[in-house]
Amino acid sequence: MSQQIKKLVAKPEFGPFVLLVGMIVVFTSINPSYLSILNISNLLVFTVELGLIALAMTLLMTAGEFDLSVGSVFGFCPVLMWTLYNEGVAGIEIAFLASLLAAAVIGFLNGWFVTRLRIPSFLVTLGMLLVVRGTALYVTDGFPQRTWDAAGLWLAEVLVGDFYIGELRIFMSLFWFIGAAVIFGYVLTQTKAGNWIQASGGNPNAARARGVKVNRTKMALFILSACMSGFAGIISSIRTSAANPNSGTTYELEVIAMVVIGGTALRGGRGTIIGTVIGILILRLMRNGIVLIGVPGLAYNIFIGAIILGMMALHSWLDRRHQEGR
Amino acid sequence: MGELIRMQNISKFYGKVQALKDVTLTVNEQEIVGLLGDNGAGKSTLIKILSGAVPASGGEIYMRGRKVEIRNTTDAIRLGIETIYQDSALVTELSIARNLFLGREPIKGPKFLNRLDHRKMSEVARALLKQVGITKEIPTSTPIASLSGGERQAVAIARAMYFDSELIILDEPTNNLGVAETQGVLRFARNARDSGHSCIFIAHNIHHVFQVVDRIVVLRHGTVVADDIDPKTTTVEAVEHVITGM
Repeated sequence: MSQQIKKLVAKPEFGPFVLLVGMIVVFTSINPSYLSILNISNLLVFTVELGLIALAMTLLMTAGEFDLSVGSVFGFCPVLMWTLYNEGVAGIEIAFLASLLAAAVIGFLNGWFVTRLRIPSFLVTLGMLLVVRGTALYVTDGFPQRTWDAAGLWLAEVLVGDFYIGELRIFMSLFWFIGAAVIFGYVLTQTKAGNWIQASGGNPNAARARGVKVNRTKMALFILSACMSGFAGIISSIRTSAANPNSGTTYELEVIAMVVIGGTALRGGRGTIIGTVIGILILRLMRNGIVLIGVPGLAYNIFIGAIILGMMALHSWLDRRHQEGR
Repeated sequence: MGELIRMQNISKFYGKVQALKDVTLTVNEQEIVGLLGDNGAGKSTLIKILSGAVPASGGEIYMRGRKVEIRNTTDAIRLGIETIYQDSALVTELSIARNLFLGREPIKGPKFLNRLDHRKMSEVARALLKQVGITKEIPTSTPIASLSGGERQAVAIARAMYFDSELIILDEPTNNLGVAETQGVLRFARNARDSGHSCIFIAHNIHHVFQVVDRIVVLRHGTVVADDIDPKTTTVEAVEHVITGM
């Protein structure tokens, strides 16, 4: 094998990419409408909303932490925003900013507990998941908040306005996702901040000894993770015309699966935004594909579980080769 | 050569346990000092205080006669004190170039873009690896995980040299290394001294210490029991007696 091919195969994104292409080929050969314009339109809509959370989670996991409260924040922020707006407490812009500020506070608290009290992020964010979800349910008595007033609001147009290219319906959220992917990818690979993120996850003690502000880096990423989750939740609520306090339940697991399948190391130190984008597509295309080829939707988790195990085995094998310098 | 560092009457308590009692240690310019002692003698604690990892309970630190405060590792690094721990204090997932500049990354272009100057990092890293004595051609984009133990130590020493650390503390740098790699690390330490740096060299293997240091200081039960042993005029057995007190 030539050196270039060896390098390509050793990349953490290579395995997931092959799987993605293979999935598309198999699903399309069984059901050609898999690649129809209508199906692609439908696929993109929700994929990018979950994707926004996964992109931020990639940076956080690269820094050696993860956030189980993202699904709750996804549900809570739109509830807060629409409650403020519907009750006439604030205009839509202020309500939007207030809900993102609330997300930032949630992220800050997560970061504070993890970095100052040195409690594992698994426990901290599990607790926060319950607090935030409980708050959303308590505030709303468990009922969804109406969002149909969103029609015509400029903010709604900017966040989830749609237009057609031929028959392809594109939502603005796709551009938010692409923008976030480009910026986060740039930050992780090209900037000093990216170096600090990787070092904070790879060897926090060594990083600290070099003057890297590990706690501050992690804190910023917890805030980013919560804000992106809230942002995604608001986008989703406007698109579906419902701010349901229960929405986002178990999203945290799907998002973490997307990130890990893409090649980001669960223990931290190594992350890839391109891999996460591939991981996002794998999970969403799989969910869509198995329905289209007639497999019962309830079997979805079997496929997802199998993919996660397979990808973990592949990444572990690549890691061993990497450690051995091959 | 003049005095570079003086740790004066340093004491350290962990709860009620006293780990160091009135320890005074000096290191001169362009000198390699071997710090020896049995397990629990206080070597690590002393080094942690000097590198800012733990605060002293009492005592003062002087650098070229001027009193300095070392409250954390950043203070130590700013003063030019670099500690290379057993695990090399490197991030194994990052490349050689990224490790060399970790915490002091060069930026190019507009500041707000925060963009790493990859070319500069790579060029400097290549030159440094040569300077420290690595003759093998290793791409600077190679992750530390792919390097041997000796090469990792070399990268850590190269980093200290580049950032003009005046004092390089090598904490068990030859642990778990083969014979050739150990010789390499000893050579790296000598190269560092010859290019104007001072070193504190800590190792369990006294033979390694004898090969590289100019002076030996021995700690026992938290106090200095000898601070001017010349390795050229003594034997390993004699130093072992001082270490154990038997």
